[in-house]
Amino acid sequence: MPLKKGLPAKALFYPMVAIALAALPMIIRSNYWIGTVNLAIIYSIAVLGLNIILGLTGQLNIAQAAFWGIGAYTAALLNTRLGWPFWATFLVAPPTAAAFGVILGFPTLRLSGRYLAMATIGFGIIINLILHNWKEFTGGVDGIPGIGAPVLGPLKFSTNASFYYLALVCLILAALTQVRIKNSRMGRAFRAIKDNELAAELSGVDTFKYRVVAFALCSAYGGLAGQLFAHRTKYVSAETFFIDMSILFICMLMIGGAGSVAGSIVGASLLTFIPEWLRFLQGPWAMAIFGLAIVVIMIFMPTGLAGLVKSIGSKMVMRLWPDAHQEPAELPRKASH
Amino acid sequence: MRVGNQANTILEIRGLTKLFGGLLALDSVDLSLQTGEIRALIGPNGSGKTTLLNLVSGVYTPTRGSVFFKDQSVANKRPHLLVKEGMKRTFQNARLFRDLTVLENVMIGLHGQTRGGLAGIVLSLPGIKKEEGMICDQAAEALQFVGLHGQAKALARNLPYGQQRLLEIARALISNPSLLLLDEPAAGMNPSETSDLVSLLDRIRQRGTTIFLVEHDMNLVMEISDVVTVLNFGRKIAEGSPTEIQNNEEVIQAYLGKKARYA
Amino acid sequence: MFDATTLAQFLVSGLAMGSVYALIALSFALLYKAVGILNFAVGESVMVPAFIVVILLTALKLPFLPAYLMIIAVMVVFGAVFQRTVYHPLRGRPFISVLVSTIGASLFLRNTSLLVFGADPRVSPGLFPVQSVNFFGVFVPPQYLLIITTLIVLVVFQYWLFEKTLLGKKMQATAQDRDMARLLGIPVDRIILITFIYAAILGGIAAILLAPIFYVTSDMGFMFALKAFASSIAGGLGSIPGAIVGGLFIGVVELFCAAYISATYKDVFAFIILIAVLLLRPQGFFGEKVAEKV
Repeated sequence: MPLKKGLPAKALFYPMVAIALAALPMIIRSNYWIGTVNLAIIYSIAVLGLNIILGLTGQLNIAQAAFWGIGAYTAALLNTRLGWPFWATFLVAPPTAAAFGVILGFPTLRLSGRYLAMATIGFGIIINLILHNWKEFTGGVDGIPGIGAPVLGPLKFSTNASFYYLALVCLILAALTQVRIKNSRMGRAFRAIKDNELAAELSGVDTFKYRVVAFALCSAYGGLAGQLFAHRTKYVSAETFFIDMSILFICMLMIGGAGSVAGSIVGASLLTFIPEWLRFLQGPWAMAIFGLAIVVIMIFMPTGLAGLVKSIGSKMVMRLWPDAHQEPAELPRKASH
Repeated sequence: MRVGNQANTILEIRGLTKLFGGLLALDSVDLSLQTGEIRALIGPNGSGKTTLLNLVSGVYTPTRGSVFFKDQSVANKRPHLLVKEGMKRTFQNARLFRDLTVLENVMIGLHGQTRGGLAGIVLSLPGIKKEEGMICDQAAEALQFVGLHGQAKALARNLPYGQQRLLEIARALISNPSLLLLDEPAAGMNPSETSDLVSLLDRIRQRGTTIFLVEHDMNLVMEISDVVTVLNFGRKIAEGSPTEIQNNEEVIQAYLGKKARYA
Repeated sequence: MFDATTLAQFLVSGLAMGSVYALIALSFALLYKAVGILNFAVGESVMVPAFIVVILLTALKLPFLPAYLMIIAVMVVFGAVFQRTVYHPLRGRPFISVLVSTIGASLFLRNTSLLVFGADPRVSPGLFPVQSVNFFGVFVPPQYLLIITTLIVLVVFQYWLFEKTLLGKKMQATAQDRDMARLLGIPVDRIILITFIYAAILGGIAAILLAPIFYVTSDMGFMFALKAFASSIAGGLGSIPGAIVGGLFIGVVELFCAAYISATYKDVFAFIILIAVLLLRPQGFFGEKVAEKV
């Protein structure tokens, strides 16, 4: 946060958030809403993945739902057909999805912008159609039921409340990992590629390698989200993992603020809860309003919520601490959040 | 000025030709650059100067001919590999990373010389932290060298144009390249900025970097270059010391057209 | 199974479907070429008029010609409103902002139509009293012939529009270099509006042709949009003739593959073509490689 000697605020902020998060299931008693929180967490992880490829590296990937689906189906198949426990699917699903990410990212290196977007759309649809039609392997239209709840040793996460803690830990790890990546040499390389790919290449960045890595990371996150999703809903079917969801993920990212870790989580949460709140309206009403809202937000909030918060935040800082604008005498070791 | 006493030939270009569809951008150009030299490449607009830079830095592939950097062919090498080997360049339109800070822009320049990988980054290993610190320090140094130190935290897009060009140079210099290719570094600079540029180039040469610049500003060229190569319509028409070039009939004609003779 | 009559029948069917794809791809490609956007809502510009056609013909029992003319009028309004709300406020923004905005519009239109028209698939009465006619020895539904004929007429009309009229030349100029067009005194914003309207009208024509042979549902637009993308890419993203050829190509290939390889995976083939084109020849049949100025 851009506070000069921000010790007081920072010292309070993080512990408060931690306590609130830990106590959430006790505050929100409704099982249904905890379930929604869990869904928001799962979506957040998927959107975090998208943030890497789209927010940081600037590559249009409209296939995140496919990787989400690959993660889910991998977990489902390993769990139901081979009896693998949660921790095993946890270890295998993300890398499997990542492998598909490489399969998409590698041949499309020569493409950019709109062409890349098209290719990812095509890829996502093909994956979905295969999941939908390959009965022997994926159960076809019927999907794969009977996935077990996550079990880690003595701990069984069969209720929404207990699953919440599991998912929360995953989200925190995922977010932390991304913050580290973003502030590192790799994160700089991603952002350079987004900004000016040719200049990045001519500064020594192997743009091909990093684009593929970005795809792999994005799809790994998607796979993780999918694996959690499978163990949560205990049933997977292809129609969930359709391009609609890829688009929703992108909207979540854009609304939250592309490039921002916090923004990804906020955007995902918001777009999970709002349709649920609107559910008291009949289905299509909610989605229609939703669609309209997307257009409005795109027009009036181009940098998403994160951008909005940042600009409000820095205006607030300027008002409360007018001297805070001075540059520190020595250069910081890390780039800012 | 002396042109390297039997120091190595750092850049060797032989018969370099580039066709774009039907357009012959470069026609059998030979060029030999010695270590420690400052070489200027001049010529009227469209004579192929930037094309030559692009061929040397690996952005284009030659239609015919060859380029050797430090006695190794650059053929089929992607540009970032050449950067690793010690070649850096700037662009005619100052390709900065506009949404990154000045400091971050320069830090990227060291990417090819650093290694920090995913595992180390995610686990926040001490080696990574040390490397980041080193990158940061070297970036600060590079900024100081070009005189941009006070702007470290500004966004690149907010810099005035002249400083943007300097930033580009800092980004190139951070990795201590053996060969620095500059594409019209003085474009858009006023006389005072240009004269600062001259002393900067001199200081760069003193660090041991060979400089190959494309330029239109004749004062700059005359003042700083050891050797000048002249292109016209993709062919080399003259090469020599600045004074020799100034008095070369063909060069004068190329720039001013035949009418000048009868002016 | 491989005899000439069957093959010819398949060919005509494929060309008919392909003509529809071509029309929608044309709408899509025009907007891409003129304004540089990917219009995710292009399918809805077919779905909405399709519903209106059904309503006009069945509920209001209008005769065909006035109904069809009303559709055109409606699409003029549709195109104008769409341009003003979804595109115009975002015209300077990065490409993805407009893309997301069209996505929002698509979502809005799909669900609003669900609310207004309900979830039951609708059928439109056909133009022709007979199921099939004898066309050079092949029995085909007359609607197919109408579709193919319409495409031909439209292609000719469009050629005339773009090459022989001042308006068309202005549209081309705006598409090629907007700033230059502005400098030449061309009212760029108005030309863009006209382009949106024209693209919407194309959607309306596609709807008119489709309604008698397809079930009209509120999510029908989606697959058509995707096939339009695929057609445009196959033909070359910046190319108008490419969109047409791409659409026909995909229509024919898809049909033959469905007939001889697998009907279940019918929809996959268009996307396999899409990916293949992107990997092997991203500029499509007619597109030009755009070289970046270094």
